[in-house]
Amino acid sequence: MIAPQQILSRLKELPTLSAAVVRLSALARDERSSAADFEKVIRPDPALTANLLRIVNSAYFGLRCRAESVRQAVTLLGLKRTSEVAAAAALAPVIPHRLPGYEVEASSFWLHCVAVAVLSERLSVELDVRCPDLTFTAGLLHDLGKIAIGVFVAGESVEILSWTREGGMAFVAAEREVLGLDHAQVGGTVAQAWNLPPAIVDVARWHHAPGEAPETADRLLVDLVHVADALAHSLGMGTDVGEMSRKVDAGSEARLGIRARRLEHVASESLEQVRELAQQFAPAPGGTR
Amino acid sequence: MSTLTVDISDMKLSAEPNDLIVTYALGSCIAVLVHDPVRVAAGMIHYMLPLSETSPEKAKSKPAMFADTGIPLLFQSMYKLGCRKQDMVVKVTGGGALYDDKGVFCIGKRNYTVLRKMFWKSSVIIAAEDVGGSKSRTARIYVGSGRCTVSSHGEETDL
Repeated sequence: MIAPQQILSRLKELPTLSAAVVRLSALARDERSSAADFEKVIRPDPALTANLLRIVNSAYFGLRCRAESVRQAVTLLGLKRTSEVAAAAALAPVIPHRLPGYEVEASSFWLHCVAVAVLSERLSVELDVRCPDLTFTAGLLHDLGKIAIGVFVAGESVEILSWTREGGMAFVAAEREVLGLDHAQVGGTVAQAWNLPPAIVDVARWHHAPGEAPETADRLLVDLVHVADALAHSLGMGTDVGEMSRKVDAGSEARLGIRARRLEHVASESLEQVRELAQQFAPAPGGTR
Repeated sequence: MSTLTVDISDMKLSAEPNDLIVTYALGSCIAVLVHDPVRVAAGMIHYMLPLSETSPEKAKSKPAMFADTGIPLLFQSMYKLGCRKQDMVVKVTGGGALYDDKGVFCIGKRNYTVLRKMFWKSSVIIAAEDVGGSKSRTARIYVGSGRCTVSSHGEETDL
């Protein structure tokens, strides 16, 4: 079992998500914000600026001309989209070379984060439902908890995996059984500690149990990310050692009105976008080895 | 010796005996591994979805995405290398599933059903298979020997 203090002390050792992300998501919700405000926040961070421009110019965002500066990026992409791209640019350097416990390389973990971000948005279009604010960012950051809890999972991986193999238990439930908490609970704590918007905290916390999310959470957003996460793992987009052993929430399927053919259409339409966007940081998509 | 990696919705072939063909992270996707011991050649496809009618445009640009366009392409490509159908040894792995009570996430099962129908219609016999279950797999085929392996959860077994 892990004591909450152990997680909190682990949090202190983690590199933090650039503070710019929090400020940008606030600016994106403020109608008085301008491209100049965004520039003031992003430009002092050269790594963030470089990563942001690389992602902005990927085919996924389909800009009509190349953005050479933060101001151009904001002008071409809009404030909301730029703040989402900034979250992606800020997440990449936080991911460790290899996630202990989940037996997954940084490139595969990144591929999975991007896949869930893209699939969440694509699902909302396919199912003709509202695409909540922060869908892309919440999808991207849903597994933050794995970065913090990985070392603890690694220490107990034999027991956790035996629960999934022999007991037919979902990996996330096995984490709770052995460690006393799971990566989603830890993810909620990490997102809060990093002062991320409540919608992102809720998704990190409830993406494995959307039916248990409180009334204050945007249930549609949690459902979309829950299904996108399951679909990404099912298709092998950054699958780690345990996530095929997972339960899909029947409530989410019913609320979203999902059919198998629609999931397949989403998958076929998203693969190339996911790959293209993921390659902005990773040399090649890999997988669990 | 080269290692040829097959991505999702991708296919690789080789007639170089020292080559290894590998694919990672097979969840609900299926890998078909084909070896011709007479010609000494091998091929592998990692298809993602059962039917090209899901997205005809994608099927044109990426036929290996679907069972019904990718599997025929794999066999035709093997024939182009000089392989003969009667000499080819065909093995199958993947087609995993999540725990889903409503069965909406049945992509793995549908992938396998379509494959069986296609093989039945064209009289292709599956020499060995490791399909289903809630696990992610890595599949390898050694071009020279035709040895096929499947690894999951850190354990490797011969197929």
